[in-house]
Amino acid sequence: MVTYIVRRLVTAVLILLAASFIVYLLTAASGDPLAQFRQSNLPNKEQLIQQRIQLLNLNVPAPLRYFEWLGGAAGCLVPFAATCDLGQSVEGIEVTTLLVRAMGQTILLVTAATVLAVLIGIALGIITALRQYSGLDYGVTFMAFLFFSLPIFWVAVLLKEYGAIGFNNFLNEPNITLSSVIIIGLIGAFACYLIANGNVKRKFIGAGIGFVIAAGLIWFLDATGWFLIPGFGAVGIALIGVAIAYGVTMLTSGLRNRKALYAALITVGLGLVAYFAIQPLLDLATPLMIFLLAIAAVLVGAVVGFLMGGYDRRQSMNAAGLTAFLMGFVILLDRFMQAWPEYFNNSRIRGRPIATIGSSTPNLEGNFWISGLDTYTHLLLPTIALMLISLASYSRYSRASMLEIMNQDYIRTARAKGLTERTVVMRHAFRNALIPLATLVAFDIGALIGGAIITEAVFAFSGMGQLFIQALLASDPNPVMGVFLITGILALVFNLVADLVYSVLDPRVRVKA
Amino acid sequence: MRFGRTSKAVGAAAIAALALSACASTDGGGEGDGTGGSTQASGGGAVTVAEVNGFSSFNANSATGNVDINGKIWYMTHGSFNYITNDLKVVPREGFGSYEKVSDDPLTVKYTINEGVKWSDGNAIDAGDLMLAWAVQSGHFDDATTDDAGEVTSGNTYFAYAGTTTGLGLTDVPEISDDGRSITMTYSEPYADWEIAYDVGLPAHVVAEGAGLADEQALTDLIMSSPEGDPENPQERPELKKVADYWNTAFDTTSLPSNPGLYLSSGPFVTDSMVADQSMTLVRNEEYNWGPEPKLDEITVRYIPEAPAQVQALQNGEVDIIAPQPAADTLESLEGINGIQLLTGNQLSFDHLDLNYSGVFKDVDVRKAFMNTIPRDAIVNSTVKQINPDAVPRDSHIFDIGTDGYEAAVPVNGSEDWQKVDIEKAKELLDGATPEVRIMYNADNPNRVDAYTLIAESAEQAGFKVVDGGLPNAEWGAALGNGTYDATIFGWISEGVGVSGVPQLYGCDSASNFSGFCNEEAQKAMDELILTLDPQRQQELQIIVDTKLFETGYGLPLFQGPGIQAADERVEGFKYMSNQTGVFWNFWEWSIAE
Repeated sequence: MVTYIVRRLVTAVLILLAASFIVYLLTAASGDPLAQFRQSNLPNKEQLIQQRIQLLNLNVPAPLRYFEWLGGAAGCLVPFAATCDLGQSVEGIEVTTLLVRAMGQTILLVTAATVLAVLIGIALGIITALRQYSGLDYGVTFMAFLFFSLPIFWVAVLLKEYGAIGFNNFLNEPNITLSSVIIIGLIGAFACYLIANGNVKRKFIGAGIGFVIAAGLIWFLDATGWFLIPGFGAVGIALIGVAIAYGVTMLTSGLRNRKALYAALITVGLGLVAYFAIQPLLDLATPLMIFLLAIAAVLVGAVVGFLMGGYDRRQSMNAAGLTAFLMGFVILLDRFMQAWPEYFNNSRIRGRPIATIGSSTPNLEGNFWISGLDTYTHLLLPTIALMLISLASYSRYSRASMLEIMNQDYIRTARAKGLTERTVVMRHAFRNALIPLATLVAFDIGALIGGAIITEAVFAFSGMGQLFIQALLASDPNPVMGVFLITGILALVFNLVADLVYSVLDPRVRVKA
Repeated sequence: MRFGRTSKAVGAAAIAALALSACASTDGGGEGDGTGGSTQASGGGAVTVAEVNGFSSFNANSATGNVDINGKIWYMTHGSFNYITNDLKVVPREGFGSYEKVSDDPLTVKYTINEGVKWSDGNAIDAGDLMLAWAVQSGHFDDATTDDAGEVTSGNTYFAYAGTTTGLGLTDVPEISDDGRSITMTYSEPYADWEIAYDVGLPAHVVAEGAGLADEQALTDLIMSSPEGDPENPQERPELKKVADYWNTAFDTTSLPSNPGLYLSSGPFVTDSMVADQSMTLVRNEEYNWGPEPKLDEITVRYIPEAPAQVQALQNGEVDIIAPQPAADTLESLEGINGIQLLTGNQLSFDHLDLNYSGVFKDVDVRKAFMNTIPRDAIVNSTVKQINPDAVPRDSHIFDIGTDGYEAAVPVNGSEDWQKVDIEKAKELLDGATPEVRIMYNADNPNRVDAYTLIAESAEQAGFKVVDGGLPNAEWGAALGNGTYDATIFGWISEGVGVSGVPQLYGCDSASNFSGFCNEEAQKAMDELILTLDPQRQQELQIIVDTKLFETGYGLPLFQGPGIQAADERVEGFKYMSNQTGVFWNFWEWSIAE
């Protein structure tokens, strides 16, 4: 095992060296660093060209310049010595500074999208696998491929046009016309028609219910002015909490495990009490506090589950702990919604909350909730855009993997033993279906830092992709090499991690030392 | 020790409560503190401007900081002896200081800062600051020798100044007046662009401190006492080197420096906050007392590289003013937005077709035959007119459209002979010959490709054999003047003011004269031009050069690049500007309509 890892790491270093050499030469050959001066008729043109030549050391041939760069970069290997020198950009800014900042922006931009795409994609994949060749399966497959094949710059511009500009216009006069209510109802009806299981009659009943719920909800929200003053209220939280309790119990232990169900429901009750109790505390929230509260919530849930006891305490603890976490999330959402009117009427926002560019509103002053909402309004559209296009791969992979597992002999055995369908799917099939996805997710985390060049450009995020492309356009080799170094290292490391994780998760795969 | 279950739980709860209250925020809750910056209270309003590039330096005059956006921020945060209006006239800022030509021969100029003009830290702007600016802009101490490859073989170039040192290089160490607010510099020979050759730069007391000198006076003394740099006998000057290094690098930053001295302001606004690579915000400078009071309280600049993103940000109210890269589809989408002011005009760049004075074009008749075939109207229609409906072919090699000089030059410079395509005349001049012409241009620039296509088509009708010599973006610039082509289409960017750019382009053997133009009369005029102080005479001399260029078949100017600038309709006082200061040129006149 250790020999294997060492061998892989040595190869990785060699690959990195060779690749960085090639990238350096390509960058140097890609443009004319003096182009901007050639068109100039400034009297000191020669002097400016001379300054640039010295700055970029252009008198030294590119292959030799590479080794100068490598010498500085090698200093980064010495830990804590502060000898790291990745050079400066043409504008005299340290590349290390640029990289740290760009990585922060990129992580901010893609993390939520990646997590959501993984969660939703896998869920969709599993569900469609369980209902193979149904209307739902075809519907989800169609949508996934549709989004997958849309060019992101186009999706992004459309999202900005309707999701930001159009929605902000709507918020200034939030009136939903009857025809819109009916259209939304029909969409709901269609979705429920696909989701409903069984014969045509049941499907049509489902469609009817879907229509009523969608149209009714939108009418209710409009009539109560919810779009301007959103919130769940205690009643809403109680309803959502009970739904969460039932859903979580169904997935973790099955509704027949009454102890687990009661544990989850008790947690919801405690959550409601907490909802009122911690409001004053939440006014002073900081990220650390929210984190501690989340841990506390999970612990309380687990304790409730433990105290409920029963023949299988762990099931109750799981159900109650997860319920408590989700309940806490709902309370958090509600608190954000309470801050919405204040955010909306802020003089920096001027009643147009959904943003099209950047990651924050300049000079916005406010507490945790206001700045949280500001991040949300800025990340909403890019997250949707990135998520839509990456849903396809996750849902298709997990669908294929789940289908394969469901046809395995041990699943038939499990059914023959008389296990419930829930146990078969959740415990025997689902976990094994996730193994191939581990590789995919590991790669994607590696690629995540590399940035999303086009999305960053459209949403004016100054992440890794933009750092790379702007430096390349300016024929500025140091930032390009910095980005390459980071993304290259991450790609190689996560490749290795993916292989190792795979062998840990699946004992059938053994690493040959 | 043993604890019961209950006491354990109580203990855990107590610790948790402590931990939670310890990490609570201290700003006293969310009630009503989200009303934005306090500066907005005074009611002048705030404007957000979109810029293509990110800010990178508070020293816009250094080699690394010399980027448009840095110059724009500099413009709003620095006083100056003069500024340039949108009809490209130099206007003195009398409230800041004054400059007067004390004598014509030798050219002697006296610069005075008005009493009470201060940096934003309260330190007076005085002769120390003027002397530092002079030391930088004159290159007085440089003693570097470079070899043919551009390697420095001995000595030092101290300040990496991005402007020209040609003008102030002619001056000797200035004299400081007794009141310490004026300096007087004497030129060893007349210098035509003296009026824009010099301006105040960075605060001397900050640079002195940063370079480890005692105070501003020590820096002034250092500048006064150091001998002029002599490349023959370079000497080590460690103190001056420290000053120069600090000046060259200390002001480069993309986040707000912890040392406020690095972003001192002498103008109406001062930097308040910066978010690296995203935005920066300027607020009123409390110490500003010498010029027109800005109507706004705050100007925020956000960096948005993509033109469509700028347009949508304007539409969504996130920015109030944009100046995107000009393109026909950008204009189209802006035209579809209600409630904005949309301005188009010329920029100070112009495309031109240059013919070599050698090879196939050695004969003036061949050159003129080719010029007769150039369809300038068609080129303008298919390129810049898509963006700027008022675009017309440019009729002068030297003057920018809209300036007084242009009006005076066009009727007399001979450009009227080249208004229309005249294939017959071209054929006549060619007299049956079918010369092969290789045209070099940037094949990655759609406007140049269009121009080439139209020119090639038209020239072939007259009997020319046109060879496509288009080169990719990375290569065409280096190919200029290397003799591999007969004609070239490319662009110059001009400053809009000043005359020293003229000999740079059209002087015999000068650095940017790629086509080999060399005319005795024109050269004589240019030699006189750079020594001429009278603006009227400068114009006459430039017209002589312009006329000679047309007369000898230099080629033809095609068009000036178009520009698009747009603003939300609530911004008042927004006016089009063609030079690199862009929309900011009259920022103090901007206001927000109620």
